[in-house]
Amino acid sequence: MKKIFKNLTIALTCAVSFSAFADVSVIVHPNNNTEISKDDVSRIFLGRMKSFSNGNEAVPVSQEEGSPVRTEFNEKVLSKSDAQLKAYWSKLVFTGKGTPPKQVMSDAEIIKLISQNPSMVGYVDSASVDSSVKQVLKF
Amino acid sequence: MKKTILSTAILLATAVTSQASAADIQMNGFGSVRFGQMVDVDGVNPMLPDLYNDDDLTFKDESLFGIQFSSDLGDGLSATVQLTAEGSNDFDVEAHWAYISYQINENHTVNAGRLATPLFNQSEYELVGFAHNYARLPKSVYWGFDFNTFEGVSLDSQYTFEDYFLTTKLIYGNWDGDIEGINSEFKNIVGANASLNRDWWTVFGGALLSEFEGDIDSALTIPSVIGGVNASGATGAEIDSFLSSISQSGKDGLYMYGGFKVDHHDWLIDYEYAQYEIQDSADAKNKSWYLSLGRRFNEYTVTYVHEDYSQDSDYSVLSSVENPILQATGQSFVDALAARNMTIDSIHVRWDFTSSAALKADYFFGSDDRVEVGDFSGFSVGVDFIF
Repeated sequence: MKKIFKNLTIALTCAVSFSAFADVSVIVHPNNNTEISKDDVSRIFLGRMKSFSNGNEAVPVSQEEGSPVRTEFNEKVLSKSDAQLKAYWSKLVFTGKGTPPKQVMSDAEIIKLISQNPSMVGYVDSASVDSSVKQVLKF
Repeated sequence: MKKTILSTAILLATAVTSQASAADIQMNGFGSVRFGQMVDVDGVNPMLPDLYNDDDLTFKDESLFGIQFSSDLGDGLSATVQLTAEGSNDFDVEAHWAYISYQINENHTVNAGRLATPLFNQSEYELVGFAHNYARLPKSVYWGFDFNTFEGVSLDSQYTFEDYFLTTKLIYGNWDGDIEGINSEFKNIVGANASLNRDWWTVFGGALLSEFEGDIDSALTIPSVIGGVNASGATGAEIDSFLSSISQSGKDGLYMYGGFKVDHHDWLIDYEYAQYEIQDSADAKNKSWYLSLGRRFNEYTVTYVHEDYSQDSDYSVLSSVENPILQATGQSFVDALAARNMTIDSIHVRWDFTSSAALKADYFFGSDDRVEVGDFSGFSVGVDFIF
């Protein structure tokens, strides 16, 4: 038990220090040639904009709650803490005015989804970006 | 009535579940578990709605649970049912909302069914404590009206242009039910509201107009003035004219609000002014507002709120009443309906101890102009959560 606890502590410490240094990349499908600004990303992830600047549908995909990259993205791009973002969405969900972005488990899953769907936009740890997707912004 | 709506809601929910696979149904919930007490009252309890009207510490007044099921039926159509159980209502399960939505395009969504009445800026989510930083929304404006839902249609629209974000809502519908035990109805409700946001500021406003009908005159107005009427010696025509001046049934109810919000560098300012009345009747013009100043410190938010509620005694409705006894009777009835003038100050602390639950505590102290009430104070501690 003590050992598990120790391992957990090390893992947690790593996660925390990792999150502090990681960059977040916003990614889209390689064929998506639309211009996208930080404000556009923020609007899309807050449910205020539902298409890219070229008029094509934009479907945001978020990361699971508690993941360091999500916290980083929320703070850097949406300027909200995890709890603030939840309070924001609770106003929309419980008034029928919006649904938060779909959540996926990992960078790998989000990259796979976006590589198969030109409408999607997501964010991952910059170190995870590969050639199957296009990085449009980095924070 | 309540039973019929609940059955309809269950039917709707069942229909939704049978048509869509379990994976297509989104379930979201919210709740509050809060205890509190009025600790010091000069005179009698101010009897604010659902706010510690008994002397004892209670968990019941402000605790509630809500659960919402919504299902995407395809082609922009979705169905939503929201069930709530409020402690103030003995945790009886009620279909707060049950409606279908159709997303016309990315700017417009039309809803039909039982919907939340957007009386004031935060009315539509007034039960969701997690959505705001207060222990409760300021009572002076968010009085806990029975008329907080309606059956009808609404059109929600949103527009983004450059850095501005505009949302608008139009509604049409009806409501019937009891207001303080008196059978009442709001017919042909029409309402519109708008909110404009840019970066750290938002301005908003709205209005709602409706024909009010109900038993209020036979239950309250006539019994209150009958003594004066009998003593007045007025003619039948004078009495009819007097009663029609002060009566509320058949008159229009008008609700209006406006205000602003600021959320800048962790400083939060909120102001809202609301005004409402049954027009051309003895009903008082209710004017209320609150101003709050808050500051976020990481997962803590501290907010100070000042709120004010006043009712105007306006005798203009009696301008054509010449009989002195009827005039005096009318004035004292108008005064009786405009008896409450109060202010409340409160300090609230919110601690987001996880991303889905917040512990909140508040201390409030108020002053009510009615001599039998005077000053009062109280506190509450509770957890607001979503799931």
